[in-house]
Amino acid sequence: MASNHHDYQNVSGVDLDDGDLIDPDDADLNTFDDPLASTTQPSTSRTPLTGTIRSSASSSAAAANNNRNNAASSWTSRFPGEDRTSSALSTIDESVWATLRRDLLAVWHKLREVLYPRHLFSSWGGTDSIRGAYASLRSGGLASAREELAGLAGRVMDAESLLEHGNGGNGGGGLRDWDLWGPLIFCLLLSTLLCLRSRDDQRDMVFSGVFAMVWVGMAVVTVQIKLLGGNISFASSICVIGYTLFPLVIAALLSALRLHWIARIPVYLVLVAWSLAAGVSILGGSGVVKNRVGLAVYPLFIFYLGLGCLCFIS
Amino acid sequence: MEQPQPAPGSLSWRLSSHPITLLIFLGFRVSSLLVYLFGILLIHNLVMIFIITILLLAADFYYLKNIAGRRLVGLRWWNEVDPATGKSHWVFESSEPGTKVVNPTDSRFFWIAIYAQPCLWIALALVALLTFNFIWLPLVVIALVLTITNSLAFSRCDKFSQASNLAGRAFSGGNLAGSIASNMVGRFFSR
Repeated sequence: MASNHHDYQNVSGVDLDDGDLIDPDDADLNTFDDPLASTTQPSTSRTPLTGTIRSSASSSAAAANNNRNNAASSWTSRFPGEDRTSSALSTIDESVWATLRRDLLAVWHKLREVLYPRHLFSSWGGTDSIRGAYASLRSGGLASAREELAGLAGRVMDAESLLEHGNGGNGGGGLRDWDLWGPLIFCLLLSTLLCLRSRDDQRDMVFSGVFAMVWVGMAVVTVQIKLLGGNISFASSICVIGYTLFPLVIAALLSALRLHWIARIPVYLVLVAWSLAAGVSILGGSGVVKNRVGLAVYPLFIFYLGLGCLCFIS
Repeated sequence: MEQPQPAPGSLSWRLSSHPITLLIFLGFRVSSLLVYLFGILLIHNLVMIFIITILLLAADFYYLKNIAGRRLVGLRWWNEVDPATGKSHWVFESSEPGTKVVNPTDSRFFWIAIYAQPCLWIALALVALLTFNFIWLPLVVIALVLTITNSLAFSRCDKFSQASNLAGRAFSGGNLAGSIASNMVGRFFSR
């Protein structure tokens, strides 16, 4: 009987260790080695392996003990994460209004990062030049808008200096806390506004198509950034890209209001550039992608341009 | 009309210690399902139903994660991102044992709602698949992701804090009613 019991303990211990050895399904790419940038960081995926081999007996015994201690713990405990009991300083007993207010403020702060891409404009110098740039963007016609666009494009392509400036300030910006309110709301607005002017029999398809395209596009751009070695979590990137859809929502609104197509060209170019500037500013300003900003931003540019074209033809 | 006094811990909202929170929570949970169900049966306007359902689902997700879970059972979970490395970090928080009294009615409502919702959405997903309504599948998938995420995260929170059998407590909560519950009942009905 006793030997049976021990066998059972060993088996359960081995199971738990397997959970460590096999990469969990929800592990993002950050969990794995980056083959391009692995020189700076010691490899992480091998550490549990060697640890298991070295002390397999003790670790399995400890795991069995652990398993017996909280008998109710089941497979949900295998999520990577930290369990906590709230301390006195915690906000677990705050009022509903405090929670709502904090989260609304967080959304507003992220939106402000998009409205004013400070990492990009900070490299232009003082506030006067920023004001001037905005003014010429607003009041100028096609030619000056194109000039500003060229300037913006130059800034974007000049990735290294941009990143230096961005990292000089408080780089983290809106990336520490992510939420999906921005992506959800802006994606819904974009789909709705674009399907307003479509034919009745195509409306459902347009709505579903735009909705799916936005989410798939965000996922693809994020995967590309991560494959290039950006150290950003999947959800953070989705959050940033979702919030930078805001200028494109304006474009879709203008389309829904039947703006003349000649007037659409410069306005939409400016709006796409604004989206791109905000995206590059937030992603790049947080030190996400080093040395490969142009490469990582290119699909983002294609994504914004595609959505802008959709707004244009709708 | 005179009603018989409900047993402690039974599913009656009058026994709840946070009735408003509980009712709003149940309202969000039920309304997203109802809008979807009656939307595809009665109103054949995909865009409107899609938007209303998804907004209700998002509101339900937010309300459950940040407000209802905290007020009803004292549990909360969230995700933190380390800005330097970009690693995301899940935190499952439970209130300090002994400081918060969890009303059995609240907790029973809470856990039943949390586990019933994904089951109902899975049923609706099967219906959508079998009737070849593929255009509704994205909505159902989003609903499944949101509800199942909350279910798993909250069961993780609770397994740490109380190490009790959730399903048993949720579906046979009546026999768990302790002295606290009867005190609460007494207070409610002595007014």
